[in-house]
Amino acid sequence: MFHWLEKHPFFFAVGVFVVIAFAGLIEIVPNFAQASRPVIGTKPVTLLEQAGRDVYIKNSCNACHSQLIRPFKAETDRYGHYSLSGEYAYDRPFLWGSKRTGPDLMRVGNYRTTEWHENHMKDPKSVMPSSIMPGYPWMFKNSADIDTAYATQLTNAQFFGVPYNKPVPMKDGSTAVVKMADSVAGAHAMALAEAKEITSKMKDQNVKDAVARGEIPEIVALIAYLNSMK
Amino acid sequence: MDFYEFAPYAYFFLIVFLVVGSYSYIYHLYKNRKDASGVDYEHYSEMALKDDIGDTPVKPVSRDKEK
Amino acid sequence: MENRPLEYDYTVAKMFMLTTIVLGIVGMTIGVFIAFELAFPGLNTIFGAGLAEYTNFSRLRPLHTDSVAFGFTVSGIFATWFYVGQRVLKVSMAESKFLMFIGKLQFWLYVIGVAAAVVTLFMGYTSSKEYAEFEWPIDIAIVIVWVLWGVSIFGLIGIRREKSLYISIWYYIATFLGVAMLYLFNNMEIPTMLATSAAGETNIGDWFHSISMYAGTNDALVQWWYGHNAVAFVFTVPIIAMIYYFLPKESGQAIYSYKLSLLSFWGLMFVYLWAGGHHLLYSTVPDWMQTMGSIFSIVLILPSWGSAINMLLTMKGEWQQVAASPLIKFMVLASTFYMFSTLEGPIQAIKSVNAIAHFTDWIVGHVHDGTLGWVGFMIIAALYHMAPRVFKRELYSKGLMAAQFWIQTLGIVLYFTSMWIAGITQGMMWRAHDEFGNLAYSFMDTVDVLHPYYALRGTGGLLYLVGFFMFAYNIYKTMSSRPVEESELQNASPMGA
Repeated sequence: MFHWLEKHPFFFAVGVFVVIAFAGLIEIVPNFAQASRPVIGTKPVTLLEQAGRDVYIKNSCNACHSQLIRPFKAETDRYGHYSLSGEYAYDRPFLWGSKRTGPDLMRVGNYRTTEWHENHMKDPKSVMPSSIMPGYPWMFKNSADIDTAYATQLTNAQFFGVPYNKPVPMKDGSTAVVKMADSVAGAHAMALAEAKEITSKMKDQNVKDAVARGEIPEIVALIAYLNSMK
Repeated sequence: MDFYEFAPYAYFFLIVFLVVGSYSYIYHLYKNRKDASGVDYEHYSEMALKDDIGDTPVKPVSRDKEK
Repeated sequence: MENRPLEYDYTVAKMFMLTTIVLGIVGMTIGVFIAFELAFPGLNTIFGAGLAEYTNFSRLRPLHTDSVAFGFTVSGIFATWFYVGQRVLKVSMAESKFLMFIGKLQFWLYVIGVAAAVVTLFMGYTSSKEYAEFEWPIDIAIVIVWVLWGVSIFGLIGIRREKSLYISIWYYIATFLGVAMLYLFNNMEIPTMLATSAAGETNIGDWFHSISMYAGTNDALVQWWYGHNAVAFVFTVPIIAMIYYFLPKESGQAIYSYKLSLLSFWGLMFVYLWAGGHHLLYSTVPDWMQTMGSIFSIVLILPSWGSAINMLLTMKGEWQQVAASPLIKFMVLASTFYMFSTLEGPIQAIKSVNAIAHFTDWIVGHVHDGTLGWVGFMIIAALYHMAPRVFKRELYSKGLMAAQFWIQTLGIVLYFTSMWIAGITQGMMWRAHDEFGNLAYSFMDTVDVLHPYYALRGTGGLLYLVGFFMFAYNIYKTMSSRPVEESELQNASPMGA
């Protein structure tokens, strides 16, 4: 049996492939349709939040921060309600992380503010004296990539049917609509409007000036994303 | 029982079946000391030890009909 | 000695030996640097605030993991394939111009791919999925390199003189197929330039940016099916291929049991793929998957220990060789670490243990006793065994090799012991409640206690890196040391003092 396979490389390779592909087929494929239904209250991200999510990914924040609250008392006490599958329905890619060098961020929008994030991202030790997190001062200078964020939104809508410009049900029975721009120029205007709301609560004069000039520093987008995590 | 419940059971019993199958095959090899073409299975480890290009292969590829 | 016109041709093996060493140095240096960044955060800006964007922990972490996994380890796999493959099939690459060309093409494309990967990761272009961070153009390059390797494997098998495939070849074939399948499915992504806005604009934003084809929980499922099995098919399967060849060859002992190797091979193939679920315990994937991930992780002990015990028993009656040869020491310790981490892994996959261990440094410790002790030592041993044969020189220094062995072993021990303590301490502190049912510690408290362990871990890593530099130096000097007669090269590798 096996001895015969060892002399016939082609059938050997087929045998190995069947054996290793099997588990994946059973494990992954049947679950696909079920897991991707959003729970009520889950909205797609707005344009500026998407740009912030890209900043989060660009700097591998997920190397140290998880976005997954496990169903234990210690975790729900610390971070809030445990995670539900449907809450991730629009996450491409998922950002659960695998290591908590820093705390979980799944619901950070519930207990941190724009002001806190601004101070913390510039110099973490200013708000957490013994923090080992590095500062991210370049985020106050680099501009967020609104074009790519817009393209990401479009891809989500066109290839995966993410409901932009469509009503999504909310927990209180109402519906909400997350708008997506019609053109690149429209997208920039939309992002800038969102950015102005954030900067109204920020102190950094350079960031305020940049937004007044029509630029959007990465930090503004990142804070928009962090605030949206509830 | 729907498919999602059925799949893990099916997989589990398949594994059990395969484990039993491969153990009995190994037992068979130990008992007979030789494989289907009459070579002591352990003899194949010579492939690593005598691997100079001039060494005779343990079981040469022959273009003739096998056996 | 008869005059043989035909010889094995190690050109491609030599090229990949070079990248193994260079990328090993790159990956491990970054690793040591970021380990010390966690202990002493001031290091994040040591190269100046201007460069901080490129030298901070989060930007460098994927560079570390990818350069040791896909640089050091994959180069080592290729280097040993182009050495072992010819020998156990008894066919020389010099016999086929086509295969020689494919081999060299594979090398140069690989180098280009690595360069592109390093640059883009520094710039922050990442898909965020662990060990699959590369964006789609690099993914395509990787697939091409991999297909070329497949052509090499099956091309060489096609012209072989030895009819039966040796154990190592089984494992190389499994590596090829396993990584191909996993990589393709995990990296299914849609480039965002394909989208069209309502105003009809296309090619918006960065052309190389893409998003995953799967969302949320499904994405996590596919990622850890990949992530766990990337460990299987990069850090386990090909390394077993190496030890099944190099340990018997170096010691001159036949494998303890060929039959046992057969059982462990098919056992490993059947079971490994299922175990990925243990990365997602208590997450939002279905419960039955988590349970099966847990169960099969424990079943996995059997085939893993089958291989490891087979290796240790191969040395039966020849244990004096372990004392005499540092090269055998590397391999015996590698298989011991293999047993150790394949026992540790299943323990961490038990649900109640995982509740404490997950997200902590214990996991980091587990990965590193596998990679430093098992993968690193085996590749180092393989290259030491190959060096006298491909350069036709004796190894430069046995004493240096022995010193390297002890320094690196000490480094590994410091590494995993500090990470165990750090991980379990932090895991327990996170869940501690006081008498009123409130959390006993703030998150910051649980970070403060880790400082000494982070410093120790960095030291352990530094020792391992120092050993790796000794290795590189030893190989470099080997290339210019005393030539050897080919007849000396049957088993034990010739070594200078």
